[in-house]
Amino acid sequence: MPRLYLSPRYTLLICAALACAALPGLPRDARDGIPTPATNKADAPDFNRDVRPILAARCFKCHGPDEGARKGKLRLDTRDGAGHVLGKANSELVLRISSTEPGTVMPPPATKVTLTAKEKETLAAWVASGAKYDAHWSFVAPKRPEIPKLKAQPANPIDAFVTARLQKEALSLSSEADKYTLVRRVYLDLIGVPPTPEEVDAFVKDKGADAYEKLVDKLLASPQYGERWARKWLDLARYADTNGYEKDRRRSVWPYRDWVINALNANMPYDQFTIEQLAGDMLPNATVAQKVATGFHRNTMLNEEGGIDPLEFRYHAVTDRTAVTGTVWLGLTVGCAQCHTHKFDPISHTEYFRLFALLNNAAEPDLTVPSPELEKRRAGIEAQIVKLEAAVGDRLRDKKGIESLAAWVATERKKAVKWASLKPTNMDGGPATKLAIRPDGSVFASGDAQKRDLYTLTLSDLPAGVTAVRVEALVDPALPAGGPGRAYYEGPKGDFLLSEFALKVDGKPVAVASASEAHPRGNLTAKAALDGHPHTGWGGSGQPGKASNAVFNLAKPLTTKTATLELLFERHYAASLGCFRVCVTTAEGEVKAHAIPAEVEEVLARDAMPLVPNPGEPEVLARYWFATAPEFKAQRDEIAKLRAQLPAMSETLVMQERPADNPRPTFRHHRGEFLQPKEEVKPSVPAILTQPRGADAPRSPSNRLEFAKWLVSAENPLTARVTVNRHWHALFGRGLVRTLDDFGYQGELPSHPELLDWLALEFVERGWSVKKLHKLIVTSATYKQSSRVTPELLARDPENKLLARGPRMRLEAEQIRDSALKAAGLLSPKMYGPSVFPPQPPGVTTEGTYGKLDWQVSTGEDRYRRGLYTFAKRTAPYAMFGTFDGPSGEACTAKREVSNTALQALTMLNDAVLLEVAQALAKRTAAHDGKTADRVAFLFRLCLVRQAAADELASVSKFYDAQRERFARDPERAAKVAGAGDGAVERAAWAATARAILNLDEFVTRE
Amino acid sequence: MLDVTRRHFFRDCGYGVGKAALASLLCANARAAEAPQANLLAPKKPHFAGKAKAVIHLFMTGAPSQLDLFDYKPELAKLEGKPLPPEVIKGQRYAFIRPEAAVLGPRFKFAKHGKSGAELSEVLPHLATIADDVCILKAVHTDQFNHAPAQIFFNTGFSQPGRPSMGSWIVYGLGCETKELPAFVVMSTGGGISGGAANWSSGFLPTIYTGTRFRNQGDPILNVSSPGGIDAELQKDTLDLIADLNRKRLTAVGDPEIATRTAAYEMAGRLQTAAPELTDLKKEDKETLALYGADPDKPNFARSCLLARRMVERGVRFVTIYHEGWDAHSDVTGNSRNNCKATDQASAALVRDLKRKGMLDSTLVVWGGEFGRTPMVETNPVLGRSLGRDHHPQAYAIWMAGGGIKPGITLGKTDELGFHPVEGAVHVHDVQATILNQLGFDHEKLTFKHAGRDFRLTDVFGKVIKPALA
Repeated sequence: MPRLYLSPRYTLLICAALACAALPGLPRDARDGIPTPATNKADAPDFNRDVRPILAARCFKCHGPDEGARKGKLRLDTRDGAGHVLGKANSELVLRISSTEPGTVMPPPATKVTLTAKEKETLAAWVASGAKYDAHWSFVAPKRPEIPKLKAQPANPIDAFVTARLQKEALSLSSEADKYTLVRRVYLDLIGVPPTPEEVDAFVKDKGADAYEKLVDKLLASPQYGERWARKWLDLARYADTNGYEKDRRRSVWPYRDWVINALNANMPYDQFTIEQLAGDMLPNATVAQKVATGFHRNTMLNEEGGIDPLEFRYHAVTDRTAVTGTVWLGLTVGCAQCHTHKFDPISHTEYFRLFALLNNAAEPDLTVPSPELEKRRAGIEAQIVKLEAAVGDRLRDKKGIESLAAWVATERKKAVKWASLKPTNMDGGPATKLAIRPDGSVFASGDAQKRDLYTLTLSDLPAGVTAVRVEALVDPALPAGGPGRAYYEGPKGDFLLSEFALKVDGKPVAVASASEAHPRGNLTAKAALDGHPHTGWGGSGQPGKASNAVFNLAKPLTTKTATLELLFERHYAASLGCFRVCVTTAEGEVKAHAIPAEVEEVLARDAMPLVPNPGEPEVLARYWFATAPEFKAQRDEIAKLRAQLPAMSETLVMQERPADNPRPTFRHHRGEFLQPKEEVKPSVPAILTQPRGADAPRSPSNRLEFAKWLVSAENPLTARVTVNRHWHALFGRGLVRTLDDFGYQGELPSHPELLDWLALEFVERGWSVKKLHKLIVTSATYKQSSRVTPELLARDPENKLLARGPRMRLEAEQIRDSALKAAGLLSPKMYGPSVFPPQPPGVTTEGTYGKLDWQVSTGEDRYRRGLYTFAKRTAPYAMFGTFDGPSGEACTAKREVSNTALQALTMLNDAVLLEVAQALAKRTAAHDGKTADRVAFLFRLCLVRQAAADELASVSKFYDAQRERFARDPERAAKVAGAGDGAVERAAWAATARAILNLDEFVTRE
Repeated sequence: MLDVTRRHFFRDCGYGVGKAALASLLCANARAAEAPQANLLAPKKPHFAGKAKAVIHLFMTGAPSQLDLFDYKPELAKLEGKPLPPEVIKGQRYAFIRPEAAVLGPRFKFAKHGKSGAELSEVLPHLATIADDVCILKAVHTDQFNHAPAQIFFNTGFSQPGRPSMGSWIVYGLGCETKELPAFVVMSTGGGISGGAANWSSGFLPTIYTGTRFRNQGDPILNVSSPGGIDAELQKDTLDLIADLNRKRLTAVGDPEIATRTAAYEMAGRLQTAAPELTDLKKEDKETLALYGADPDKPNFARSCLLARRMVERGVRFVTIYHEGWDAHSDVTGNSRNNCKATDQASAALVRDLKRKGMLDSTLVVWGGEFGRTPMVETNPVLGRSLGRDHHPQAYAIWMAGGGIKPGITLGKTDELGFHPVEGAVHVHDVQATILNQLGFDHEKLTFKHAGRDFRLTDVFGKVIKPALA
């Protein structure tokens, strides 16, 4: 840093060398390829359009919202902060930026950031004109713009906005695309697959004025519409079928994917779509579907690597949720404020964590999703089970049966021990766990399980002479896999490990003479919970959803009324007990744990069986008798067989807000690091988005539901704009704001600001209806234009920012495969359900990223489902999709890359799936009536929709004839290419021909 | 105009001409960032003349035990069986062990080698013979103590998936010299890579910079061979027909992206010839095969190393070879012995081979894991582990050779327990900065704007390790 000879006030202006890493882009505006409306020299520069981009790119890093990085107490992002350097005459800002003196010039040479002559001119002109600041355009609520008046007023206001802009450049819209191009385009855009020749003909032959509108309505009503747009949403939701990271195991969250498809097909208003996904669980009387919707933010990754700190990765998941919420709804890069106050946008470090807090108060359980079909199948089997169980009752009808039960009871009574359940009078679950007592004396643990959890329970009013303590591990549907433990990653779900059992009196451990457990599980014995080694211990039955218990015999009967019980749970994964009960006995002699359920033992241990049993007790005994007595083995086996047939219910991942008495606190984390929590922060949204607020303005959202509602409220200026912009991008390949995920100071300004605001307001006024928005756009002349481009127009507007032509866009990965399957007649229309495993090259599956991939290729129609249903493995995405820029599901993808590579060519040429498609097309083509040219024309229509031109027919026919001749000479080769069946030579030649057509640029492009 | 451009491109650049490449000829204002396929792989000049042109990263994933290979600590033998003082541990979290776990002494004999006197374990006899060609860094540290995040961190400078990997950054900065092969290649000896494809992802850079996986079984590059029955003549006819029809379409609709597509197909055609030629190790003489210990038909680390040299010879820019299996939570002795047996000879052979071919000066070889292993023993009866070592992020050892790195030195020192660096500590971000530096990049300047800010490989950290430079 240069030594300064200037006054201290000046020295403070120097930027740090780290700022604005090098190769900084020019301000976006200046770099745009299209001419901006000529700025008259006399005109003052527009702050938002001309000035802020320069300040943001060149100055904000040191003179912006981040107090920590701010130099010279100067902030140029607000008029107040900059006033003293902006004086009209002798403005210090102008002096400094025009200086050539290394110690004076701004930005300082050390930053390697420089201003161009034009930028200096703009800033000087702005200062000279009074240095007016305007609020950033996207932080001001959209205002309904006037629809431009044109000589020939178009029916669709979109066209009025676009045409008015084009007219400024003496340009106009291109003519409408031909009907073949148009029908293929609108099919691909709205439902994701191209039309069949029959569907094409139906449209082309319909000469009615409303033919196109009718087609659009039909497509919007098609169930495939939901599949197409769900895939786009799932990119944002970073949906995948595995957990990510090292182990990358399977997860079941496809019911969420199906929810998205259904919601889009039902045209669920986008505000409701938003609220249900962010906070469906918090809606009054939330339906199962509304809970399933909260899978949106459960799509974060889960690290199951041995030995991780689970809370660290939970923290990473919440930072991801915060950033993704910012991207998807606010179009703001809020993630930039995780480590420090945002360098460019007005979001402070604390505000970031307030936003984080809004999303940080949920538990993350699995939800069983009822399915009428599965329930019906289950009910049928369960009815049979009930019938078999009734046999017990039948046995008790006769004397023999009653005697048999009585004999069994007599035997069991000898073994039974009388236990007294204890309600701890004080409980401590450590820093992240809350222990709560329930009426039956069981203790339930909630909150966040850690790798090491210590439960400390105060036991008071102990009966005199306690000789043994029993710890019952109990099940509960709220626990992972039903419990009894809280393990939810790495180890089996619902697992636990009691590492150390310690009963203390006055802080001193009470000697334990022996210990036993009800279920053997290798070396995970109750005794191991006494050895002082934290990695050994008692692990219950080892089966999820199955209760167990361990008994600890004290060396000497207790003489005090009070004791403290310490239960330590420690493993290389979080494995504390989720539900348990503590009992004591004063029975003499060594007591052994056994598998008899506590409620049965309680009855059996009565000093005397009552003459008239208490209600329910006979059933308790009889049920257990049936469950254990040898005479029922045959029935039990039969029941077990039936139980094995019960279809598993589908599960999905959901959010569940924590109870009011146990909220999860949120802290500001220094440098955004998990290990550096500082002061606690309360939830709210950034101030910049809620200003100006009158006294009667609603209070800032303070929980997830309020936040979701705020996002889609009129108070938030961003959501509607960000949403319509994303849809515009989907249909035009470019957003009206090019930076889909950045509407902040660093983002690009809208190319058509009035159109953007008009669309945003229309969208909201039309009930947040995405289908209406789509219809509005695709029926515009702007959308329907031909995508043909002349060299002149390409030179004028290479990016097609002005929309003087339709866009020509490469299809998305799934669309390419779906289109090929549909052309071949192979595409399965089956919707919904667990993800499927279509074939992919052997190298992918034999050399998975973590050992061999579990990729059992699906059979039947599941081989040919739409790409949306392909199993999405994060560390090894489906090879073809990865090659064509499909996302991995590891991060939110607002915009897919569009690449054009040799590896894509290899996939299209050589992948087995494509060969299968070519063979199926060959079959269809060979079966088509007509001469070679007719068949080529047919093949063309199957693949490309349009009619082939004469010269194309000639080229392709010539190719076909040549290949046919060659195959005829080598039937063996023909059989390989054609696949099984008759007429291999002809089919092989057609397969080769179809393969070539599938590889045309046009096939993978929507024109 | 279109034809001229395309011809120019096919001749000179070997890759596709795209919208922006064409547009930039037509319109000086066009923005490269917008162009989907603007000549993204054309060779580019770095910030300054770099010593290295290519990098071969021998990534020893799972994390080798530096205490048993490079960093000899006799003090540990003396303390064996006793816990380390808590002030040494300083609250470090561990994956499996508890901080009070007992110390485990070095498992092997060490000796000094070469003129440089590099101290190496007996299980690295081959590395010992090239001790004067390598620079050993003995005080490397990282932020992460779990495999997937630490591997992703070493590759991308950040612990979560989503950022570009080193290879992607380098190809983004330097472009590609080969017209037949991918610029960034990933190989694995097959044990499974924690974190998966995020390790060679292009992150938010254009996807064309993603590493291309070379596989051990089947096609080395997915789909590089034609399906059965599609012979060379048919393939040629097919590519001709595609080019012909694409040309017709280009004339009709005027989208230059079509020419790019055709060029990509031409590249694919070349790849189909180049890949088998590359992987055919029978062309290597016996002496070379013996040097590496490679069997032309057996996929293993040795074969991958030889392939890496052949790739670099053919203009590949960045090669990562993953050798998995160093995760010695139990029996660190056997684990180290076996993994050294699998890697030591070929790693040393690679350096020797590059040197004798005159390629070492321009090829940077980096050998090491994602973190180190603890001075303390890992024993866990529940998991059946004994005499292992847990993950240790505070200090570990890697070595570099060639590419302008100073040969025959050892840098960095740890305390007598091998726990913390006491001298010459370098962070993983420093290693990354140094790798970029050797290729001619100022790591602070190799940036890409994404989500509202400029990102770089070294995040906001990293210093070039000056003492390691020749």
